[in-house]
Amino acid sequence: MKNQQLIDHLFRHQFGKMVSILTQIFGLNHLELVEDAVQDTFIAALKTWKFKIPEDPEAWLTKAAKNRAIDLFRQMNKSKIREVKFSQESIEKEINDYFLDHEIADSQLRMIFTACHPDLQAQEQIAFALKSIAGFSMREIAGALLTKEESVKKRLSRARQRIKTQNIQFKFPEKNEIKSRLARVNEVIYLIFNEGFHSGRKDVLIRKELCGEALRLCRLILEKETLRNDDSYALLALMCFHSSRLDSRVNENNEFVNLENQDRTKWYKPLIDLGQRAFEKSNHSKKLSTYQIEAAIAMEHVTASEFKHTNWETISSLYYALNKIHPNKFNLLNLSISLLMENKIEESKKVLAGIEEKDLEQRAYLYHSTWAEYHMKNQEFYKAAESLDKAISLVKNESERKYLIKKKNDLFLN
Amino acid sequence: MKDFMMIFLGEDYGDLGLSPEQIQERMKKWMAWNDKMESMGIIQGGEALHPEVTRISGKDRVIADGPFVESKELVGGYYVIKVESKEKALEIAQDFPDFDLGSSVEVREVMVFDM
Repeated sequence: MKNQQLIDHLFRHQFGKMVSILTQIFGLNHLELVEDAVQDTFIAALKTWKFKIPEDPEAWLTKAAKNRAIDLFRQMNKSKIREVKFSQESIEKEINDYFLDHEIADSQLRMIFTACHPDLQAQEQIAFALKSIAGFSMREIAGALLTKEESVKKRLSRARQRIKTQNIQFKFPEKNEIKSRLARVNEVIYLIFNEGFHSGRKDVLIRKELCGEALRLCRLILEKETLRNDDSYALLALMCFHSSRLDSRVNENNEFVNLENQDRTKWYKPLIDLGQRAFEKSNHSKKLSTYQIEAAIAMEHVTASEFKHTNWETISSLYYALNKIHPNKFNLLNLSISLLMENKIEESKKVLAGIEEKDLEQRAYLYHSTWAEYHMKNQEFYKAAESLDKAISLVKNESERKYLIKKKNDLFLN
Repeated sequence: MKDFMMIFLGEDYGDLGLSPEQIQERMKKWMAWNDKMESMGIIQGGEALHPEVTRISGKDRVIADGPFVESKELVGGYYVIKVESKEKALEIAQDFPDFDLGSSVEVREVMVFDM
């Protein structure tokens, strides 16, 4: 068992690392070649390790990747694919230098900036990041993004094509660009996280992997002093708070459990602590950003000892602020729920009246279940039942449907 | 007690397009099997083989490079285990991790000639 834990995630994480290092050496133009080379190394590891695992698996893989890099270099030099970067004699030393810890981190950051390059489209950015940084296979990306393998393939090849035609370089953005480029990096990281956290898929494992990757990428950014920024800290905090309750969102029968009914003792405390430390590091002296507000809301939830102790007053004011800088019907819906919890029933109704079912797309059922809550507060149980029926007819996720049906059945019991 | 060789036949991993995660999953299954046999104290030896085959054959000792067999029949490695019976050896072989890849395992008793 010990051996098995030793290699948990090793391959996925090493894949991203090695692809980044080798790309740093050979250039983005040879990305596919590089990915194949890393893959070969892993296959060789699989073949020999299955009989006997080396003492230090990570060191074994690093050594293998270095040797592969030297092979590749000789191969390319011979066929003159690339101009000579270093001499035949010094290859080993030069290649060794690329494997120093700070160089590895730098290479991975360059890969992140490549993935989030403004010349790539949003869909391509996510697919590219999952492939080249997180080491997902095409099928795994398709599974994670709930799309077809074929379209993932297209997105990846379009991304590679664009890198070539736009001559995108494997480097850090210019100083004056860093701020806007980081904003996009944060967005992509948050998108990856949300694919994991909010998706209706039942495969908890894939969801955890996606959330874990997003956290890892965000930490990579924050480890680099010149890249640290308030929004990345706030984003890390937000993702930590959400992740801490990932396990308690689904019960042992694979049913959805809402915030109110989650077992708070199961929330993962170390992540909440990490989130709070990250939140403190995000500078709040100026006007709050959306990440900061979202993190603050999530923090209110995870630090309330019980559901009934939730500070809804603060949460409502945070949603007001959030909707002001980022007007959005989902923010309004959440605001109306929070107001209801505060017993500000008429104020909640006013907010709710400003939303239409169709604004919320596939989450339209939440609109009706919120109206149901409103009617329940007013003791109008028949109206509440009508709203719940509408919600039940729209909800896609099976466990959420069960939850709503139970809620309706309980309406007339009290 | 008798020695049995379990010979693994199947397509080369390099031709299967496994993702890093799948490689990892496969490795874990092999380790679990390995750990199990290790804890039973039955492993006598085992090695993996490179997929490239060179064959020398006939009275003229003709040397040729493979492949010679169908890709699914390629020998990828072996284990030798010491157990009380063929039935026990077959039971152990049930846990061979690569059946799902279309691979197979052959169980052969090692011949002992008692003088």
